[in-house]
Amino acid sequence: MLKELDPLLHSQLRLGVMSLLMSAESAEFVYLKEKTNSTAGNLSVQLDKLSEAGYITIEKSFNGKKPLTTCKVTKKGIKAFEEYVNTLRDYIKK
Amino acid sequence: METKNDSLSAQQSLDVITSMIRQAQGNVSRSSFYFLLWGWVIAICNLGMYFMYKLHFYPRYAPYIWLLVLPTYLAMFIYGRKQEKDRIVKTHLDQISKWLWISMAITIAPAWLFGDKLNWMINAVIMMPIGAATFVSGIIIRFKPLLYGGILFWVAGITCYFLPPIDQILAGGIAVVLGYLIPGYMLRNQREKDA
Repeated sequence: MLKELDPLLHSQLRLGVMSLLMSAESAEFVYLKEKTNSTAGNLSVQLDKLSEAGYITIEKSFNGKKPLTTCKVTKKGIKAFEEYVNTLRDYIKK
Repeated sequence: METKNDSLSAQQSLDVITSMIRQAQGNVSRSSFYFLLWGWVIAICNLGMYFMYKLHFYPRYAPYIWLLVLPTYLAMFIYGRKQEKDRIVKTHLDQISKWLWISMAITIAPAWLFGDKLNWMINAVIMMPIGAATFVSGIIIRFKPLLYGGILFWVAGITCYFLPPIDQILAGGIAVVLGYLIPGYMLRNQREKDA
């Protein structure tokens, strides 16, 4: 029997964000927005969901007067992403 | 990108992952600034010292030309801090690249500081790690001229073992111009073309 795919990651935008963060040390909100081609509001909601699950950390700071939102993937997030990819592999093999 | 999750098939999920990873791959910083800054400074130091000796132009003071390295470190530090602040994404390869050059600087520092113990065969010793760092930088940013630059430093480093100290300085100057400055300008031109 196949394992269920993590519903938190099984969404296009959240999966996109996690894939980007897996390849980066850290990324700014504007970068994620540009690469995922999403709206600020939608991205913000999805980032909060990932953060509440402990998959990413969100740090708010300032560069001069410009507000910065920096996202980083956590160990829990890396584990969840790897499990998601492994389950995905099982689905494709089937 | 939408947030629907019921319509996402396994294949679509894979497509999202691969396309995002591909997007992130081009994010290694390809800054030519450091290559140009250090290229010019080290070329001026090597060639300046060589010609001061050869042309008998205050040869006693020739080694002091290397003091130029100190403000260069400061300029690099200020530029690096600013760049880190402005960067919207930091990749593992950026970190590797940064620490590669810091490790290289630590590796060659004793040769500079205790050159008398090496009978001033400094360039023979320091050009090998510089070659390694240049070559690996070429691999990281996928830029062939830096690979050739790295190889050139290795060749120059080995050649230096057979040269008297003063000619090693000339070899060092030539290696920096060909292996560092020219790839640095090529990198800058490519960046401008890509922009």
